Amino acid sequence: MKKNSMIKNSSFSLISTKKIIQMNNIWTSYDSKIFVLKGINLSIDRGTNYAIVGQSGSGKSTLLKLMNGMMLSSKGTIKIDYVMPDMNDKKFKKMMHTIGYIPQSLGLIKNITVLENILIGALPRLSKIQSFFKRFPEHEIQEAKRILKLVALSGKENRKVYMLSGGEKRRVAIARALMQKPTILLADEIVSELDHVTAHEIMDLIADAQKRMNLTAIMVHHDLQIALEYADRVAVIKEGKKILEIGVEGETIVDFQTGDMSAEEIMEMYSDDSQK
Amino acid sequence: MTPKNNILIGIIVALLVVASYNVDANPIEFIDGLPNLAIVVEEMLHVEPKYIPTAIWAMFETIQMAFIGTIVGFAISLPLSMLAARNLNSKYVYAPIRALLAAIRTFPSILWAILFVIMVGLGPFAGVLAIIMYTIGFVTKLQYEAIETIDSDPMDAVNSIGVSKWQLIRYVVIPESASHLLSQLLYMFDYNIRQTSILGLVGAGGIGFYIINYIKFFEYGKAAVFMLVVLVTVLIIDWVSVKIRDKYIIKSQHGMEVTTK
Ligand SMILES: Nc1ncnc2c1ncn2[C@@H]1O[C@H](COP(=O)(O)OP(=O)(O)OP(=O)(O)O)[C@@H](O)[C@H]1O
Ligand SMILES: [Mg+2]
Repeated sequence: MKKNSMIKNSSFSLISTKKIIQMNNIWTSYDSKIFVLKGINLSIDRGTNYAIVGQSGSGKSTLLKLMNGMMLSSKGTIKIDYVMPDMNDKKFKKMMHTIGYIPQSLGLIKNITVLENILIGALPRLSKIQSFFKRFPEHEIQEAKRILKLVALSGKENRKVYMLSGGEKRRVAIARALMQKPTILLADEIVSELDHVTAHEIMDLIADAQKRMNLTAIMVHHDLQIALEYADRVAVIKEGKKILEIGVEGETIVDFQTGDMSAEEIMEMYSDDSQK
Repeated sequence: MTPKNNILIGIIVALLVVASYNVDANPIEFIDGLPNLAIVVEEMLHVEPKYIPTAIWAMFETIQMAFIGTIVGFAISLPLSMLAARNLNSKYVYAPIRALLAAIRTFPSILWAILFVIMVGLGPFAGVLAIIMYTIGFVTKLQYEAIETIDSDPMDAVNSIGVSKWQLIRYVVIPESASHLLSQLLYMFDYNIRQTSILGLVGAGGIGFYIINYIKFFEYGKAAVFMLVVLVTVLIIDWVSVKIRDKYIIKSQHGMEVTTK
């Protein structure tokens, strides 16, 4: 990993506070009857890798949608660098380009090329005229190509997205998010459907980009193993509640909520939860 | 068969009989009229080939009218459909636009043609205006329906980057619905050629003007030449648009199919 690029990009964060995201007692629902999240508290340190795991339907995707302002909570407060995420709010709208969001379905545009998809990440930096005529400045195209290389997709820039493999599509989605020059990366189950080797390739890539760009990554995972492997902290969600917050320190798993616990105990706990 | 179904069928049959009586639909008259048809057909067989160049020229005018009408109508429809799509606008924007479009659609093209003949006088221009209005009413509806079926995932993902609405339309909505829009454009052109062929009936230009006049003076042989040219043209256009559809549209839709699991 190249340290020099890290220094260049991290100068900003030196003056900001340590906590980048804070959620206090968050309750939310889709149809105002059943609460999907029930009193979530969490705080995420700048520059760390934070993972969220839990069973299907436990509310993981909902949690990410609250962080990028696509959804609003019914109760509680969320602050991202002191701003309440709400995509209809002018102040937050201006900072949305600093949050890269990769939805569970990736949200790529299938019948345009890889390069065109990646360049979409630069749209907030374009003038009205440039974006109307699809005239991307040369330095943006160079930046896109640089990122293309970073995600190991060089040579595929003119492929239509529908022709790519699942792993390649995920790389395009990551590249589009990185093109935003984000400070936060939200990724929803980006490696869940991949085989072991490809999943690790993708996770390594994100870890690398994270160090280069001083990103805070918040990633939803299906698999606790991979979450523990890459994340500084892992929040375990069950039925809309955070039941655990754990991390790996050295060889042991540490429970940040109730004190130390053995790896076996936690693994057992988790596997009980995820039994269908 | 439930008793309820029997009652329903009974009602439909009764309505059919009453309606037929009201509109003087008499099958015996139809059968009595068959020999007349034979006479017309027989007259039509006396085609007069020297009218073919005139007929082709008139058809060419018709195609040009349909072409201008379709392209201009389509160009006006596109921004209107962006405003009428529910997934892009609030109720206060799309509801009035939809009401306006519904009002435009209540007129068939021949009524628009009469209206424009009164406004701008006899001739092809009135016909072109009629086709534009009809295309706007019809194509905008097709377009906003296509836009509303766009997958919401790419829209949400791109929206969360913090792009403007114009950027969203330019970079997601149009590419994602392009194949539908192109197929609608072809369909509308095809349909407008048929429509324009009859606008001459009210003096709004095109080949229909000749057909109606020859029929009025019982010159079926001459009318037949013009009708034959319409028939051949429509068949050719039909064939060409099927080819275009196969080559460009089906292919790109296949691509989309592969990606949506
Ligand atoms: N658009 C929606 N409308 C209504 N209910 C929804 C909607 N989206 C999600 N839900 C409900 O909210 C709950 C949490 O959903 P969410 O998508 O956050 O779960 P998840 O943990 O991401 O699950 P998965 O692992 O399957 O992706 C589920 O019970 C789901 O049925
Ligand atoms: Mg989910």
